Amino acid sequence: MDKVERKEEKEIHRTAQDVVNLLSVVLRTAQIHESSNVAVTTAIDKFLGLINYLISIEDSISLGLIGEFFYLNEIRIRYSLEYLLNFDYLIREFKKREIGKVLFKQTLKPEDIQVLLKAFIAAGFSDSPYETFYEFLSGTEKIEVDRLKKISEGGEVDTRKIIKKSYYNAVSFTKGVINKIKAGEKVNLKKAKRIVETMVDHILEEEKLLLGMTVIKDYDEYTYHHSVNVSILSIALGQRMGLSKRILTELGLVALFHDIGKIEIPAEILNKPTNFTDDEWKLIKMHPLWGVKAILKLRGLDNTTIRSAIVAFEHHMNFDLSGYPKVKKYHELDFYSRIVSVVDQYDAMTSSRVYSRIPLSPDKALSIMMERAGTQIDPLLFKFFINMVGVFPIGTLVMLDTKELGLVYESDVVFADRPRVLIIINKDGEKVNGPVVNLTEKDDNGKYLRTIVKTLDPNKYKINLAEYLL
Amino acid sequence: MEITEDIKEARDILQVILKAKKLLRMYPPNNPIYLKTLEESFSKFKQFLDYKDSFTINIRQNSILYDNEPIYSSSDKEDNLALFFFKDGLRELSFKRGLPRDELEEFLKILTYDFEREVFDEDIVTLLWERDFQYIQYVVDEAFLVEEEEENYEIVSEKKIKEKVTDVNDLLRAYADGFQEEEYKGIAIVPLTDKDLKMLVEEIERDSSDKMGKLVSILFEIIYQTVGKADIEDIFAFLRDSIKYCAEHGEISMILEILMKAKEAIEDPSLGEREKKYLEMLNYYLGSEEIIKLFAELFDSGVDIDEEIFSNIALFFEKNSIEPLVKYLGELKTIRARKIIIESLVLLGKKDIQAIAKGLNDERWYVVRNIIYILRKIADRRAVEYLLKTIRHNDLRVKKEVIKTLGELGGKEVIQSLRECLDDSDMQVRITAVKAFGNIGTETAKKILIDKMSEKSFRDKQFEEKKEFYETLARWKSEDIFEFLIKIMKSKSFFNRGKMFENKACAAYALGLIGNKNAISILEKFIDSGNKLLKDYANIALKKLANG
Repeated sequence: MDKVERKEEKEIHRTAQDVVNLLSVVLRTAQIHESSNVAVTTAIDKFLGLINYLISIEDSISLGLIGEFFYLNEIRIRYSLEYLLNFDYLIREFKKREIGKVLFKQTLKPEDIQVLLKAFIAAGFSDSPYETFYEFLSGTEKIEVDRLKKISEGGEVDTRKIIKKSYYNAVSFTKGVINKIKAGEKVNLKKAKRIVETMVDHILEEEKLLLGMTVIKDYDEYTYHHSVNVSILSIALGQRMGLSKRILTELGLVALFHDIGKIEIPAEILNKPTNFTDDEWKLIKMHPLWGVKAILKLRGLDNTTIRSAIVAFEHHMNFDLSGYPKVKKYHELDFYSRIVSVVDQYDAMTSSRVYSRIPLSPDKALSIMMERAGTQIDPLLFKFFINMVGVFPIGTLVMLDTKELGLVYESDVVFADRPRVLIIINKDGEKVNGPVVNLTEKDDNGKYLRTIVKTLDPNKYKINLAEYLL
Repeated sequence: MEITEDIKEARDILQVILKAKKLLRMYPPNNPIYLKTLEESFSKFKQFLDYKDSFTINIRQNSILYDNEPIYSSSDKEDNLALFFFKDGLRELSFKRGLPRDELEEFLKILTYDFEREVFDEDIVTLLWERDFQYIQYVVDEAFLVEEEEENYEIVSEKKIKEKVTDVNDLLRAYADGFQEEEYKGIAIVPLTDKDLKMLVEEIERDSSDKMGKLVSILFEIIYQTVGKADIEDIFAFLRDSIKYCAEHGEISMILEILMKAKEAIEDPSLGEREKKYLEMLNYYLGSEEIIKLFAELFDSGVDIDEEIFSNIALFFEKNSIEPLVKYLGELKTIRARKIIIESLVLLGKKDIQAIAKGLNDERWYVVRNIIYILRKIADRRAVEYLLKTIRHNDLRVKKEVIKTLGELGGKEVIQSLRECLDDSDMQVRITAVKAFGNIGTETAKKILIDKMSEKSFRDKQFEEKKEFYETLARWKSEDIFEFLIKIMKSKSFFNRGKMFENKACAAYALGLIGNKNAISILEKFIDSGNKLLKDYANIALKKLANG
């Protein structure tokens, strides 16, 4: 262990990513070809080359799955853009077989991996996948397996509190920043960085919990919540795309300030209870330009300022430049702008706000966005986004085949249509507050315990999501 | 209370941290003191961590605790390690067994930053966070990120949001509708493919390019959409900032782009006059001392600069740039940098000869010489009046440059000064003056030279100077000069025959240069001359004539 730990951090993570990648390749190839096929044996040889090297240093190597993340000998493996698909594949296959940990104990031979493959393939067809896997693995003493553990609810409660605190810190800070800019006071960007760094950490460690916070929509404090939500969703999307911590911080900071130009719009217009007149719309449409001004006045030019100004200007321009502001000569939108544009639209559509008093349900918003992909929205980034939030984003009101009504509590990275759901009306039609059920859970016959059959609009029934999700 | 061995060791570690904080700031990483300090710190940590799993300290405003025992305390506001950590929210620091030297060094380097005095975008926690240390962990109190008046923001907001309790009847209505509503059709999630990832990688790679260019485009777009004076003033200020930023970062092609865009906008009939006026002012900012200084630093830094791009930028300079350009011309260290500035001044010169000529008063001889060179290259006769004042400059190098320039510029007013130079005590100055007359090329100039050559004292001049006179005279190629030279060739003397032969040799050389073949017969008389000099020059001249 010591020797590996002494390696440069990057090298460790790279090696860990390689383990996941090579194992995925072995398993994928074995699902297509006979085990004696050269493609399989070559993949096995490559995997053995790495894993045996690690075992020679560490004595044993464990590959564990906790939540949505792999851990190699307790070190969390970072998501890598390069291996994104193989990561997702392995998570899905581990979950499918209820595998929580595979322990490689001694120097392995190709025969040991062949045993692993047989166990793996057999478990894939079994109603009791973990048991089958376990049984097949008795063919080798060098590989052990542990069942997938449920994340303990107690620990989650504490983490949820911490994340909630960070979320409100961010909202409160944003409120302070906006008020300071309005008053012509100096803004402490060091603090802004700290706020965003905390959010990046939470996204890396507890993505789902922080994403859950973005569902909290406070109409009176919309601008502040929206700024923070767009920042969080941008970081989360960036993380899905394998961006580095440093870039995620920059993206989060840039996203936090994307609507800063709205400080110039009189409050009586922003908070107007009726529809905007043409003149008022004209003012609203000036906020990207005013955003550039506000940002560039905030401090001297540097990379973050430049990028913030660009995003402030472009976030309503649309992928096909059909939005506003209208421009004379322009090429394509900045990469950050396209990210912010996607998440901005989503958060705005699902919030009660000036442009639209009645928010859309998350799934409805996604289906509208899907229609816009390719014209108003970057289709590639939207594809990443929808894979991130899932078919049923957090806050979606769902009817289950068990005649239970619930709210989507957390999405599942691998099984997009099987999120965790908070039951708010039980099968007897009684109002309850929980439990949180995992739709990936199956009964003894391998059938899912619960499945979503319908979605409803929580706004139609004035359901206060905060009451349940905070 | 008895102080345990652990506490003593913890105090020792604190002391080495304090020492390192001071010394690593003062010395470069290859300095022996730096290396010794680092080694000392590392061995103290290692010594401790050989026996303990970790070294954890708790941070308070004015003290640092180990195992609840204070190991450091200070009430100083300036030099207080506890406060240094505490003010950014750091509350606990933990160093784990196995702490590598590199990681410790990085940590100690962070401590050397003077966050109060220097301009940083990061505080200590951000720097720790960015380093992503594996063996150094920290606990942070985030409360300070929130303003005091917003301390209860979370509680108040949450309470307010939760106040709006969902009506049970609404819930039950939703539940009932759940059985009525259409079956969920849902949106299909298309899984990500390798092609998607490839496209994303391409997008990310493409994204790294040219953000400044994008911002500039945006600023010009905004110019067309500004409504008030304050707006355009702001955009003008941002464009100025952009120019400054680019000059600081050596992005001169972007500066050219800004200027070209401004030019294009100024020429665009659809843009308002007020906007155009502001854009025109950009050129004045470009030539301000602030920007010229940055250019000068850039050129001297040895960074590879595309001189053609800078030449194009120089076309936008206004008169105001002359003074700072001249100023930095004298301060630049490299020939290359001076060359670039000189070329810019040559381009600019015609806009304000007087401003350039002010540089003639500079105390540094090389600056004056450069200015004269610039005036010569500008070739504007308005420079003559300033140059004439410099003709008596103490430095011979300057003096020669002036004479040369005056010769090229010509005109009646230079004649008298140049004539005086023919009598200068320095031969090189006299020779330069002769050449200058040659450049002037007028009948008056010719006459002055002939008069000078006709003086009795002329033959006593050194051969080099005399030759210059003859060579220059040959430039006229006129009949009278030919006759004058033939006359010299035919002249006789009994005394000072050596000097006479020198004169004849020079005349022979000049006849060769004139190219009149009528000179052949007389030159042939000297091809076997007993005087070697005359013989050689006669032969050279004949060869020249033969070759046409």
